[in-house]
Amino acid sequence: MISNGNEIGKLTLLSIVWLTIVFVAVWMVTWAVGILLPMILSNSLGEKALLINEILCFITPVLSILVFIPINAMFMVLIERRALALFTVRKGPNIVGPDGYLQTAADAVKLLFKEDITPTGADAFMFTLAPIVFFAPSIFGAVPLLAAVTNNHALFQVLNLPTGIFYVLAAASIPVVALVMAGWSSNNKYSLVGGLRSAAQAISYEIPLVLSIITICVLAGTLDLVKITQQQAGGILNWNILGGGALSGIDKFLAGTVTGQPVGNILATCYPFSGLSYLAVGALIISTIIAFWLYLTGACAEINRIPFDLPEAESELVSGYNTEYSGIKFAIFFLAEFTNLFVVSSIATVMFLGGGDNPIPVWILDSIAPLKQAVALLNDSFLVQTLHLVNPETLFSTLWVILKVYSLVFFAILIRGTLPRFRIDQLMDFGWKRLIPLSLIVFIVVVFARGLVICHG
Amino acid sequence: MATELQNVDLKTDEMIINMGPQHPATHGVLRLILTLDGEMVRHVEPILGHLHRAQEWQGQNRTWFQYQALIDRVDYLSGMFTSWAMARSCEQLDGITVPRRAEYLRVLVSEMNRITSHLLWLGTYLIDLGAMFGFPFYPFREREKLLDLLEEIAGQRMMFNYIRIGGVQRDPKADWFQRVKKFTDEFPQRIDEYEAIVTENPIFLKRTKGVGILKQSVAKDYGVTGPCIRCSGIPLDLRRTKPYSVFPELKFDVITYDKEGDTWDRYMARILEMRQSNEIIKQCLDMIPEGEIMAKKQMAGMRIKAGEGFAAVESPRGILGCYVTSTGGEKPFRFRWRNPSFCNLSVLSELLVDSPIADIMAIFGSIDVILPDVDR
Amino acid sequence: MANLLARAFSGLNQVRRGLSTVFGHSFKEPITKEYPQIVPAITTHFRGRLALTVNPETGDHLCISCRQCERVCPDKCIEITSAKSAETGKLELIDFRIDHGLCMFCGLCTEVCPTYCIINTNDFELSEYSREALIYDLKKLTLSQDESAFYFEKKEMPLPKPKPAKAAAPAAAKPAAPAAAAATAAPAAAPKAEEAKAEAPKTDAAKAEAPKAEAPKADAAKADAPKEEAPKADAAPAKEEAKSEVKPEAKPEDKPEEKKD
Repeated sequence: MISNGNEIGKLTLLSIVWLTIVFVAVWMVTWAVGILLPMILSNSLGEKALLINEILCFITPVLSILVFIPINAMFMVLIERRALALFTVRKGPNIVGPDGYLQTAADAVKLLFKEDITPTGADAFMFTLAPIVFFAPSIFGAVPLLAAVTNNHALFQVLNLPTGIFYVLAAASIPVVALVMAGWSSNNKYSLVGGLRSAAQAISYEIPLVLSIITICVLAGTLDLVKITQQQAGGILNWNILGGGALSGIDKFLAGTVTGQPVGNILATCYPFSGLSYLAVGALIISTIIAFWLYLTGACAEINRIPFDLPEAESELVSGYNTEYSGIKFAIFFLAEFTNLFVVSSIATVMFLGGGDNPIPVWILDSIAPLKQAVALLNDSFLVQTLHLVNPETLFSTLWVILKVYSLVFFAILIRGTLPRFRIDQLMDFGWKRLIPLSLIVFIVVVFARGLVICHG
Repeated sequence: MATELQNVDLKTDEMIINMGPQHPATHGVLRLILTLDGEMVRHVEPILGHLHRAQEWQGQNRTWFQYQALIDRVDYLSGMFTSWAMARSCEQLDGITVPRRAEYLRVLVSEMNRITSHLLWLGTYLIDLGAMFGFPFYPFREREKLLDLLEEIAGQRMMFNYIRIGGVQRDPKADWFQRVKKFTDEFPQRIDEYEAIVTENPIFLKRTKGVGILKQSVAKDYGVTGPCIRCSGIPLDLRRTKPYSVFPELKFDVITYDKEGDTWDRYMARILEMRQSNEIIKQCLDMIPEGEIMAKKQMAGMRIKAGEGFAAVESPRGILGCYVTSTGGEKPFRFRWRNPSFCNLSVLSELLVDSPIADIMAIFGSIDVILPDVDR
Repeated sequence: MANLLARAFSGLNQVRRGLSTVFGHSFKEPITKEYPQIVPAITTHFRGRLALTVNPETGDHLCISCRQCERVCPDKCIEITSAKSAETGKLELIDFRIDHGLCMFCGLCTEVCPTYCIINTNDFELSEYSREALIYDLKKLTLSQDESAFYFEKKEMPLPKPKPAKAAAPAAAKPAAPAAAAATAAPAAAPKAEEAKAEAPKTDAAKAEAPKAEAPKADAAKADAPKEEAPKADAAPAKEEAKSEVKPEAKPEDKPEEKKD
């Protein structure tokens, strides 16, 4: 039945090659600045290098993000175009470079060389500031995520905050200001309408988005992203999307029975009110799945993707807030849009999908001997021990994060290929009359159900 | 303090937006002057004529033979129908009886053309509604197949110039009919696919249900024709109400609704019409007789008897009429076109008032206007 | 409330249906034809670039300068230059220009052509860097013998009739001694051609049959005309004298020049 194996294979190869390039490049830069350079410095300078090393320690995460964002956005644009082509029985860009691998690089170069136009009557200062304000949060806002997605790697620990998710959400709400700025300063009516729409939309959809995340925070009992990730370790049953750890008791019970260890009264400890507790488990699972869906919907609206791309609704507002932008400023808008998509997918991964955790429960993995040996071999290798080039824990968790994040991105592309756009009043209706009540209900259910179950015990 | 604030008269102003002629969604070069109150449209003024090419005047300066090649450009998505309207009016004037095979071929190719036109509408309509990247390619895929078939007999994909005064230009080969048959067999499944994606989609329903309701009286007043008026409860389909060609011999029903149609109904009517056209093509393929395809040899210097003639055909957009006056010379004396798009477009200012700006495209798209057909 | 839930679920289900349909399409064969690499199959009657055929067997130009195409062209993009040959008394083609920037590819000229000379080829790649480059002259328009044979076969056009024996001889001898052949053939073909010629200029579209009947003969007469020797080299004087349709007095004084060359 599959008559398109060739194209699917090409897309898979493209993803693997590009992802390897992206993450190897980022890791090499991070490693060079964060590990190799301090190593060399302390070898040569001794005590004096401490201050420099301290500074480098803070520079490294930011540098890694700065390297990561442009090349990742380029890859995402390419994969979006190729995936959309796949859905629409086309082939997509496959001319520039080997099989179109360099298409977005060429596009980026083209955009950079275009004339940068500021329209007559525009507020030039605001007009220039808008893309910067739009782009900046995606750099500094994503920083706390780094520690969470790399399984708390030593290099990224510095930027982990106790209130991580709060910080990320706060940063994520800044771009709205930029869109209003862009819309207002363009001296274009379409832009103005687009900017105002984006403000209205972002305000309405931030509420369900934040409420769904708060639901998870309540379940986890912390705002710390690393802690939230670590809680979910140990297989799909521990993930927040399935009850936020409500199933971890069952997980332990299963682990005990399978490996033959004494089970004791794990079930009784985790579910103290027996029947009522199991009911609560069911409620929690449903609630968290709804919360996940709410998050995806809200995030889709937050980053202005179809079906919520009203601020730039092409058939109505030409191109909305970025109608008047060209050249590098437009490129920055474009870059930030895709980075935002990546960031919200990462947040979803960390909050709901267990971060870098593999979906297979630990007790199954442990029973596979060759896997263990391979990991041990890697642990003892020269790369890990002397150069610290590879950190096995980080490596595996990052691989899982990449897989999960890009699955979500792929899903977003699929949605983009299918759904039409909302109308602004329907969007508001949907947000205020459906999503917000639903998220409140979910929140309340979780608050009460949580007391009946020992989560993440 | 509170009372003071209440008494402050907030000054709001209406915003005038010039939509088009370079707007990405005005299907070419329509210009709409919109008066907006926030997101609501208060007044609409369509400005036409950006694509005026003096098609009627050109008719008076070309010979009959030459003008036939030009009129495909009037409605470039359904060139067969413009050719057919002209051919019918001239045949009426000249008293030509078209051979039966030619009539069947005309019905066949024009119904194929109707499907291509509706398919293009379907794709672009979803673009208007914002499903910009995925769905629109599917209708275009099928349209491509049909256009390939039409190209084979007519020579070009859109400017067919296939239906001529007195018959049709070329007799297709036997395997062409088989390929058309093959297409008609698999086409309904493709429509099912479109419907799976679009018809019951909640966002699509929200965007189209109850939007742009065209009242019967308004439709009558403005002379709206085609699927638009059939959705408003008036079963006006020239193929049935004033049958021409071999339509009386073919089995099909006029697609009409009892209620006053909204945008979704107009979408659905076109989907049904595609299925209907598909059935008509199937019937034509079974019933087509052998024989001549041309009643009168086409010549560059052909003349049409003096007099006046009017003929209309049911094009995908509505009634396409052609009025012609001949003085018996080599050139027509006067051509006058009754274009469905022009009449359908005029109802726009009635439909758009007090609807949000996002509905402009939903409504404008649903009445399926071709700008060259409006401006001629 | 129950109604709301039911609606929400059916809505989500429909979205799921749409998503799965779209996703299912990713397993279907792409319809993309990578054009420059894979040229699509062109149908028989495709109306592409205009060209002039030659007799696939002998290589003689088929145009008889009847000007039907020029007259029928709605865009007036065809410009034919011809002159009455002194020896044969027949119209002979000097230049044939088609402005493809003006042409709308309606194919009317190919329909009226009595000798199947002007045809629509399969060529649709007409991009040029200037508009002037789109004006094709006789040399650019004329197809080779093989190409003509290809199109005659593809379009199922009847092959041109074999020529009269007398005319065929000079055609054969042409490469060897064109001037001499022309001289010998001219008187032979002259009487017959004269009759046709007398009619030709006055014949209008309605009487298209006349040139058609004469087509092979006229063609034969043309073959020995100086066209083969130096129409392009002498393009300037030839065009000048050929501005009017027939100018017998201009011809003789032009001819010696050519022969001298």
